[in-house]
This record gives sequence, C-alpha cells and structure tokens, in this order.
Amino acid sequence: MAIEQVVINGMVLGCIIALSAIGLTVTYRILNFANFAHGDFVTLGAYIAFLFSAILGLNFLAACALAIAAAALFSVGLDCLIWKPMRSKGASSTALMILSIGLAICLRNLIVFVFTPDIERFPLPVKEGMTLGGVVITPYQVAVTAVAVVLMFAVHYLLRKTSIGLAMRALSDNMDLARVSGIDVDRVVRYTWATGMALAAAAGILYGLITNINPNMGWFMVIPIFAAVILGGIGNPYGAMMGGIIIGLSQELSTLILPSEYKIAVSFFIMIVVLLVKPKGLMGGG
Amino acid sequence: MIDYLVTILLIAGIYAIFALGLNLEWGFTGLLNFGHVGFMAVGAYTTVLLSMNNGVPLLLSVLAGMVLAGLLGAFLGIPTLKLRADYLAIVTIGFSEILRYLLLNEEWLTNGPIGLCGFPRPFQDLVPIQSYNLFFLVVVLSVLVIIYSGIELLIRSPWGRVLKSIRENEEIATSLGKHVFSYKVQSLALGSMIAALAGSLLAFYLQYINPRNFMPIETFYAWIIVVLGGSGNNKGVLLGAVLFWGFFSGSRFAQEYLPLSPTQVGSMRVMFIGLMLIILMMFRPQGILGKKEELSLER
Repeated sequence: MAIEQVVINGMVLGCIIALSAIGLTVTYRILNFANFAHGDFVTLGAYIAFLFSAILGLNFLAACALAIAAAALFSVGLDCLIWKPMRSKGASSTALMILSIGLAICLRNLIVFVFTPDIERFPLPVKEGMTLGGVVITPYQVAVTAVAVVLMFAVHYLLRKTSIGLAMRALSDNMDLARVSGIDVDRVVRYTWATGMALAAAAGILYGLITNINPNMGWFMVIPIFAAVILGGIGNPYGAMMGGIIIGLSQELSTLILPSEYKIAVSFFIMIVVLLVKPKGLMGGG
Repeated sequence: MIDYLVTILLIAGIYAIFALGLNLEWGFTGLLNFGHVGFMAVGAYTTVLLSMNNGVPLLLSVLAGMVLAGLLGAFLGIPTLKLRADYLAIVTIGFSEILRYLLLNEEWLTNGPIGLCGFPRPFQDLVPIQSYNLFFLVVVLSVLVIIYSGIELLIRSPWGRVLKSIRENEEIATSLGKHVFSYKVQSLALGSMIAALAGSLLAFYLQYINPRNFMPIETFYAWIIVVLGGSGNNKGVLLGAVLFWGFFSGSRFAQEYLPLSPTQVGSMRVMFIGLMLIILMMFRPQGILGKKEELSLER
C-alpha cells in the first residue's frame, strides 16, 4: 500500500483513539484511577447507536445523538451507584481499578447477552471511495475525521471557556483546594464522567462507521488508548489528542514492515519506551 | 459423578496454584498484575514445545517454563515498578494480550489458532488411561501443598515481612533501608513462576492447548478467587478456588432451566463473575477470610 494511503488511514484511526483517550485521561486525573472499563464504554456507545438505528429504525444521525446522550446519562448513573459511594468511603485507586475490571467484564457480557457476539454493521449504504492523487478516501473516513476534529475543538471550548470546564481543571489540579474554594465537587465529577463517556460513545460510533461493531471492539482498543494517554501525559487532554494521532499513525505505518496482526504490539512498545524514558509523557501530566 | 467431581477438583487445584501466585503479588506485596494469564501461557507453551519436539525431560521443561516466566516478570517490572501502581496493571494487561497475538500468529512455532496436542504427560506409560485423571489429581494436589507451604514459609520469613511492609507503606519500608524496587521485582518474578507452573499443569490436564485457553478473562478468574477468598490469605485462596469453580461449573446446568441460548447462558455466567467482583470491592473488599486492616484499599 502506498505510504500516503497508510498515513490517511492512520490519521483516521488516530482521531478515534484520540477521542477515546481524552475521555480516559480526564477521568484518570480527576478521579485518580485508570478506568479499565473505558474500552467497554466505547463499545457500549456503538451498540446503543446500533440499537436506536438498526433495531428501532430511527434516522441514523438522530440515533447517534440519542446514543451519546444515553451513554452520558448512563455514566452519571454509574457515578451515583458505584463511584460516589466508593469516593465517600475513601477507596484507594487500586480498589477502583479492580472494580473497573469487574465493570468491564459485566458490560461486555451484557452486550453479548443482548446483541449476540456476532459482528454487526450500522444500517448505512456502502459508499465508494474517492480517488485523490492515488489515495482512496471513503466519505465515511472524511466524516469521521470531521466529527472528531469538531469534538476536539468542543472539548477545548468546554475546558477553556465554560465555568464547568474551569472547575474541572481546578479539580484536576487539586481536589481539596477546589472543594474549599466552594466548588461542588460531586457535580463537577458527574460532568467529567458524562463528558468522558460521551466522547467514548462518539469514538465507538465513528469506529463502527469505518469498520464494524462487535462486543470486543473496545477491549481491543484499550492498549492503544492507554498508550495514547501515557504518551500525552496522564490528565492532559491535549496530550491525549496528540498521543492518539501518534499512536494511530504508528500503528498503521507499522503495517508497511510488520504483519498487521502486530499493530497493537506497536502501541505497547511505544508505551514501554515512554515509561522508560519519559514516564510523565510528552506534554507532562499525572 | 465421581469423574465430574475429580475434574472440578483438578481445575480448582490448578487455579488455586495460579491464584496463589497472584496472591503473593497482590495480597502480600500490593502489586496489580492484570496479565497473570500471560505467564501461565508461557509455562504451558514452553513445557509443551520443549518436551514434544526436542525430547527434553518433562520436569526440565516445566522448570524451563518457570524460569522463562520469572525472567519475563522481572523484565516487565523494570520499567513499571518504580512508577505508580497503575502502570504495572496497564503494562501486564498489554503483555498478556500481545503474547496471545504471538501465539496466534507465529504458526511455525505454536501452530497458531489450531494449537498443540499429542504432547507427553507425566508418567503416561505407567498409569492406565481410565484412572489418569485421578492420578493427576494427586499430582496437582501435591504440587498445591508444596507451593502453599512454600509461600507460607516465605511470608513468615524476614523476606516476606518486607513484602508486607511494602504493601502497607512503601515510604516506611524505604526509610528502613529496604530496597523496595528489588523486592517488588522478586515478588513479581516469583508469582510469575508459580503461574507458569500452573500453566504446565493445565497443559497436562487439557492434553491440548491453543491461544483461546489464555484469554484475558482467565487472569480475572484468578482475581475473583483471591478477592473472594480474601486477599493476603492463602487459605482464602484455596477456599476461593473451590467456591469459584464449584459455582462456575454448577452454573452450566442453568441451561436446562432457562429459555436462553447457550451463548446467552455463557455470557450471563461471566457477567455474574464481573458483578461479584464489583459487589465484593464495594461491600466486602477483604473477602471471606481476609483482614480489612491488612488491606491498603483505603487512602
């Protein structure tokens, strides 16, 4: 495959990894634990959109919007049910990580239970790719990149220009200081979960647009997502965007010299090198 | 019925050994290893490949698997164990997945997704095939007793007390002049060797191994065994292994009473395991036999 083609594919994949990584990195920093269920949040978003569009027959765009909203609501529900009681008990980050594994197992098998383990596709027509200077780009790839870029700008706006974004940044700097300065910590945490989950759901839908959906899709993205988060510096959303793009590009570029089965190994290798050389990531953090 | 009981005890015994390795790392040292199954796979494949193709004696092949897994454990510990606890969790989970891709794709060595069979089992010429499982149960239980007593001795030794002090408070252990990093690497290496031993036993029991035997979920079977029985309590691990496999095998019969497809029943059983992990962590993190004050689960 031509190198230009590989770069395009890598950018598109990178955008999806970046979106998922932003969601993971903000919750990682503010709640101080690595949420291993984040990959399954990605899967869940895709399947809710599948439920609304393919099974209930809604218009696809409406189904996606509804799915993202439903996923965000679900994450707020999880906060009330699980994370908030754990916070008030003063649970350590290790306890939360073990719990998140339980949640990941539950969600994935719930999806298998409801939707079967088979590969599904969104009810959309197959579109021919356009050829631009020897590179084939499908309309879906264009749409995925456009939506991802818009969402990344939306995150930037949320963090920099809104009061809730300011509160999130204050919380990630120092939770106790934020609390004594009168910030309603629980409310900000709920917004953080909702934002992270909405981005994960969007990433799941976008991934389904360029490939297909299956119950393991998110689990298989966990390693690239964590690699992007660590590469960009834990807690740094801009780092996660950059990390996502670098990981996506490296994974696709590696197919030029390695069998494509080892794409994931490339992100793993990058992660190990970052941990050895610069554990705080390229842009600082955690 | 007896045969069925023997197989449950066999698999519970093998997983008890596997989980004892995890308990050494998590229960006694506080290390989060989310890729324990990777070391089990290293043990199983090394033993099988050495004994089948190269005629290496079985005992030596098992030991080779353990040594390789121990080295890999130390190797993974080096970039991660000086950093926050979560990095080890991420890196080990990545390791176990990538190892599985290697086993799936390097067909020249591992026969890929088809896997390996027809390899020698210990004393297979001396024991009649009908009673082999019963014989092998005795082997597994003897190994279990040896590993159990070995770990109990170790954790009561000065070495084990340092591990516990690391779990309780790393800074204090460091301030007492203990080289915390080196103890953590040793614990991870030893735990991985025990996982490899369990892997070799699993291969002998199954008589056929393929990468599907080493899915990430197997790691979390060990986690639920440890958390259910009581982290940091080896008796708890034994209890957890029996309860877990009792439930997991017994729940297979739910099929007859539920109007669901086999896939649905299968996913429901695993969903229940995840739910159990959530509920335990929320309401009884010390499990059945663990001591709450011994666990560093609260800030």
